[in-house]
Amino acid sequence: MDDLSRQAGPLISPAPSASRRLGRLNLDVRQDLAPWKQAVFVGASLMSGLAISIAILALAGIAPLTLASELAGVLTTENLRGVLIQAAPLILVGLSASLAFRIGFWNLGIEGQMVFGGIFAAAISIYDIGPPATRLLLMGAAAALGGALWVLLPVFLKIRFRVNEIIATLLLNYVAMYFLFHLLYGAWQDSKTAFPQSSPFRPFERLTDIGYGVNSGLVIAIAGVLAAGWLIHLSRIGFYTRFISANPRMAKIVGVPVQATTVWIIAASGACAGLAGFVNVASQEGRLTQSYANGYVFSGVLIAFLSRNDPIVVAIVGFLIAVLFITGQTLQVFYQIPFTMVQMIEAIIVMAVASSEFLIRHRIRWIR
Amino acid sequence: MSLALQLVGIRKSFDGALALDGASFESQAGEVHALLGENGAGKSSLMNVAAGLYAPDAGSIFIDGVAVSLSGPAAARQHGIGMVHQHFKLVKPFTVAENVLLANRQPHFSSGMRDIRATIEKQVAELKFAIDPDRRIDTMTVAEQQQVEIVKVLVGGVRILILDEPTAVLTDAEAIGLLEIVQRLARSGTAVVLVTHKLHEVKRYADVVTIMRGGKTVARLDPRQSSAAQLTELTVGQTLALPERTPHRGGPTRLNVGALTYTRGDGRSMLNNLSFYVRAGEIYGIAGVSGNGQAELAEALIGAIESSSGEIWLDGVGDISRASQAKRREAAIAAIPADRYAYALAGSLPITDNLAVAQIRSGRYGSLIRLDRSATRRDAAIAVRDYDVQGVRSINQKASLLSGGNAQKLVIAREFSRAPEVVVAHSPSRGLDARACAAVHQSLIEARERGAAIVLISEDLDEILSLSDRIGVMTRGAIAGEFARPADRQAIGRAMVDHG
Amino acid sequence: MIDFLVNWLANAPVTAVPYALAALGLIVAERSGVLNLTAEGLMLIGALAGAGTSLLFVGHPAVALLVAMVAASIVSLLFAALVVVLRINQVIAGLSVVFFCQGLTGLIGTLAKWQNKQLTGLAPLKIWPLSEIPDIGRIFFMQDPVVYLTILIFFAVNFLLFKTMLGLRIRAVGENPAAADAAGISVALHRILAIVAGSSLIGLAGGYISVVSVKLWVTGMTGGRGWIAVALVVFARWAPRPALAGALLFGCIEALIPHIAAAGIRVPQYLMLMTPYLATIAVMIWVGAKDARGSQEPGALGQPHVREERR
Repeated sequence: MDDLSRQAGPLISPAPSASRRLGRLNLDVRQDLAPWKQAVFVGASLMSGLAISIAILALAGIAPLTLASELAGVLTTENLRGVLIQAAPLILVGLSASLAFRIGFWNLGIEGQMVFGGIFAAAISIYDIGPPATRLLLMGAAAALGGALWVLLPVFLKIRFRVNEIIATLLLNYVAMYFLFHLLYGAWQDSKTAFPQSSPFRPFERLTDIGYGVNSGLVIAIAGVLAAGWLIHLSRIGFYTRFISANPRMAKIVGVPVQATTVWIIAASGACAGLAGFVNVASQEGRLTQSYANGYVFSGVLIAFLSRNDPIVVAIVGFLIAVLFITGQTLQVFYQIPFTMVQMIEAIIVMAVASSEFLIRHRIRWIR
Repeated sequence: MSLALQLVGIRKSFDGALALDGASFESQAGEVHALLGENGAGKSSLMNVAAGLYAPDAGSIFIDGVAVSLSGPAAARQHGIGMVHQHFKLVKPFTVAENVLLANRQPHFSSGMRDIRATIEKQVAELKFAIDPDRRIDTMTVAEQQQVEIVKVLVGGVRILILDEPTAVLTDAEAIGLLEIVQRLARSGTAVVLVTHKLHEVKRYADVVTIMRGGKTVARLDPRQSSAAQLTELTVGQTLALPERTPHRGGPTRLNVGALTYTRGDGRSMLNNLSFYVRAGEIYGIAGVSGNGQAELAEALIGAIESSSGEIWLDGVGDISRASQAKRREAAIAAIPADRYAYALAGSLPITDNLAVAQIRSGRYGSLIRLDRSATRRDAAIAVRDYDVQGVRSINQKASLLSGGNAQKLVIAREFSRAPEVVVAHSPSRGLDARACAAVHQSLIEARERGAAIVLISEDLDEILSLSDRIGVMTRGAIAGEFARPADRQAIGRAMVDHG
Repeated sequence: MIDFLVNWLANAPVTAVPYALAALGLIVAERSGVLNLTAEGLMLIGALAGAGTSLLFVGHPAVALLVAMVAASIVSLLFAALVVVLRINQVIAGLSVVFFCQGLTGLIGTLAKWQNKQLTGLAPLKIWPLSEIPDIGRIFFMQDPVVYLTILIFFAVNFLLFKTMLGLRIRAVGENPAAADAAGISVALHRILAIVAGSSLIGLAGGYISVVSVKLWVTGMTGGRGWIAVALVVFARWAPRPALAGALLFGCIEALIPHIAAAGIRVPQYLMLMTPYLATIAVMIWVGAKDARGSQEPGALGQPHVREERR
C-alpha cells in the first residue's frame, strides 16, 4: 500500500492516450483542452453542485429565497468582519492541504496539526515563556513547530515503514483530539470554571483587530499565501516540486532532491495547519478549547481541490468558503439546521467539480 | 478458399491524430498473411479494430463475407477472431489454467477448471510446448507466457488468429520454432495474420504480405516473388543511409561495472555478478532477450534502483553504486531509458521545464530564490532547433503532446546538454519509425565521436549489431560472452540461448 | 480475574463484528481494483438507517439491519458512479463520499430527532446445550445472531472469491483489467457489482453498531472505525482469513477499554481511548517493517481503467 496514494493519481491526473467503447458510446481521451474551455466545465459543474445543495436545503426546509437573503446578509459590512475572521484559518488550512497535495502527500491530518498548533501556542502562554513584546511571535512560531512535528510523524512512518499516510494522518487526528481532551480535562483545565478549556490568554497574547474590522489573524494568513506563492512559483524548490508532482521516478533519476524537497514542503504544510490552530485559539477564543479544529480537514481538501493547489487562488477560494461557513452558522442559529450540512455541501461541491474532470478529459461520441 | 476476414476503408483517429486512413485488409483461411510496416504505421491499430478493441470511425468489417459490427472483444471472440497481443493480457498471479478459464468461460468453477486443465494438456502436447497448467504466470519466462497466450486463444477455438509482433521477445531460435507452429496452424485451415516489421520473417513464412505506411495500406504482394529491397522501399518510403562511423581508437576506461548483483523484493535475483567495462569513444552493446536483467541493469546504472552488491565505477568520480544523490548528480551520466514517459519526461510539464531540469542546479536558470524563465525558454528554443524536434507549436506546450520520436529527441537534447562522458541508452529506438530511429542512432554515434562511453542495452539485435564496437550477451543477470566488431550473428544467437 | 476475563471476552465478539463485516466488505470491493475509502461514511449511513428503522418499526431489528444494508448499497452507487463511470481520482471520491455521508447523516439524524433515543436491540441466540457450560458457554455460545451470521458471511465471501467463476472474474478485473477486458469481461460491471455487494456488508457493520451494540444513534458514532477497517484490509493483505483475525484482535482491544476502568485500574481516560488508533498504526508499522516488497494488493488497485495505451 506504499504506492497506493501514488497509484490513485495526483489530484489532477493526466490520462494516457486511449479510446474506450461502451457499446455504441465511444469515449476518447483528450490530449489537451484550452484553459478557457476547462474553466467553463469547472464553472458549470460548480454551479450544478451548488444547485444540488440548494435543492437539498430546500428539502430540509430552507426556501431558496430565504437562503439568498441570508447570503446577502452575510456579505454586509457588519458580518464581513466575521467572514474575515473565519477566512484566516480556512486560508491557512487550504495552504496546508495544497502544499502537501502538490508533492503527492495526502495530508489529512490537518485537524491534528491544528490541535497541536494550538497546544504548543497555549503552552507558551501557560508556562509564561518569553518577554511580552515577543510573546505572540513565540506563540506563532511554537504553533508552526507543533503542526510541523505532528505531520512529520506520519512522514517518517511512510519513509521508514511505508505506512500509508491517508490512514496514518486520519488516525492521528483522533489521537491528537484525545490528547487535547486529556489536557483540557486535566492538567490544563481552568480551575475557575468546570468547562474543558484552559485559562484565558493574557491581553498581549491575543490576536487583535488592526483596523477596518480586519483581524491580525488574517494578516498571518495573507503572509502565508505570499510565502507559499513565492515557494511554489518563484523558488527553485517550487521547480523541483513540479517534477516530483508530475513524475516522481523521473525526478529522482534526473537529479531532483526528491526526499529533501518532499520533507520540507510537507513540514511547511504542517506548519500552516499549526498556524491555523494558533489563529483560532488566539483571536476569537482567547484560550485553548475543545473544538477549534473541528471540520477543517475536508475544508482544506476542498479549498486545495478548487484552487488546483495554487496558493494565490487559495486566498480567494478560502474567502468564499468562509462565506459558506458563516452562512452555515447563521442557518444553524436561526433555522436549527445542523452545521454538518456545511460539510455535506462541501462534499457535493468536490464531487461535482471532480466530475467535470471527466468531461475535460474525455470526448463522448455516438457510433452507429 | 473463402475470405475469412475483410477490413475495408478503416479510419481511426485518436483525439485528432489520424492512426488509420482508409486502410484495407483481406485474409484467407489456410494461409499466413503478413502485415508489414514500421513502428507507427498502424498495423497494431488495424488489428485492434479487427479484434474489437477499437471502434473504427469509418469503414466496414466482413467475416466470411458477412458484414459485422464488433461491440467489443467478446463479440470478436464469438466470431472466431483471436489475437495474441504484443503486451500480454495475462493475470500474473493466476495460474495458466485460471487465465485460460478466464478467457473461455465455463458454467462452473471446479468442473470448469478440470475441463480446462484437460484441454490445455491436449493442446500443449499438440503444439509441443512444455507448459504446466498449474504454474503461476509470474514464475514463467516471457517466451513461456507467450505460449500461454497462444494456448489461451486456441482453446477458445479460433478461425482467424492474429499475432502482433510475436517474435519481438524471442531469441532467433525460439522465433523459428514459433513461426513453424504458426505455419502448421495455417495449413490446418486457420486464417493467420502475422503483424511484423521483420523482413526475413515475411519472406520465409508468409504466403502473402500487405504493407502499411502512415496509416494506409500501400501494397499487397507475394513475398516470394518480391525482393527485399522492393519490400523495404515500400515499407519505409525511402532508402536510408547507414550512419557513418570511424573505427574505434581505444580510449581510457570510463565505466567499469564489477560483480554487480541485485535481488528484487520478491526474492528473484536479477543481476548475478555482472561485469563489463566501456572505454571512451566506444559503444558497448548489451544484447539479450528481455527479462534477463537488462531493465534492472539500466535502472542501476541511471540510479533508479540501488544494487545489492558490486560496484559501478566511473572515471573521475569513483563507485556510484550506492552513492548519495549528490554524488550521482556530479557524475553526469546521460540516461535514455526505455520507457520515456515513465522515466525520462514529465508529460504534464512544458518542454522548457523538461529541458531545464538538467542544469537547474548550476544556476544557469536562476538562483534558489528566483527562477529565470526567459533563460529556460531561450535554451529550449535552441535545443529544439538543434535536435530537430518536430510538432512543437509552442515552447511552453506540454511534453506529452510530442510524438514518440520527437519525445525521444527531446530526451536526448536534455541528456546531451551537459556533454556527458557516459551514456546509458536502453532500447532507445523502441516504438520509433525509421527516420526517428536513424536520428537517435546518429546522436549516439556523434556522442561516440566526441569521446563518450556508451552503454547500449537493446532487445533489437539489428540495432546492436549496427552500432556497437563491442557486444556483451546478457543472460540470467550476467554477461555470458563478449564479441568484437564485426560480430557473428549466429554466435551471438547461440550465446543468448545457452544457459549454464 | 476469571470474571474479568470472561466479561471481557464475552464482549469482544460484539466489538469485533463491525470491524469484521466492514473489512470483508472492503475486501470484496477492493479485490475488483477499486481503492475504497468510503467505509467510515457508509457505516454511518448503515447506523442511521438501522436506528431510524428501529424507531419507526419497533420490535423488528432484523428489518432494521436489512434496511441498513440496502441504504449503504444505494449510497455506494454514488461512489461507484464517481470512480467507475466518471473515473474520478479514487482517493478524492472516497473522501468526498465519507464527508458527504457524515454531513447527510448528521442532517437527517438531527432533523428527524433520532438522536439519543433508546433502541430495542437484538436478543442473544443461545446455542443449547453448549450455552450452559460455565464461562465458555457465555463467551462462545451466547452471542447475538449477527455474530454467528458474520462467521457464515466469512465463509461465503471466501467461497465466492476463490471458488466461483464470478470471483475469478472479479479478481482478474482487480489484478489486470486490460487482460479481463480482452477476455471479454466487463470491467465496469464487475467493479460496480463488487462495490455494491461489499458496501452492503459495510452497511450491515454500521447498522450493527447502532441497532445491536450501542442501541442508539448519535452523530458521528462510528468514531473512526471505518478507517481502522481500511487499515485492517491492508494488514490482512486483502485476504478474508487474516481480516477476521485482525477484526477479532481489534475487537478485543476495544472491548478492553471500558472493562479496565470498571475493574478499578486507574489509567487516564483519554489516553486509553487513544489505544485503538495507536494500535492500528502499530499494526501498520509492523506490516511495513516485515514486508520487503509489501504487496499482495490487487495489481490494478487505485487505477481507473482505460483501454489500450497508444504510446
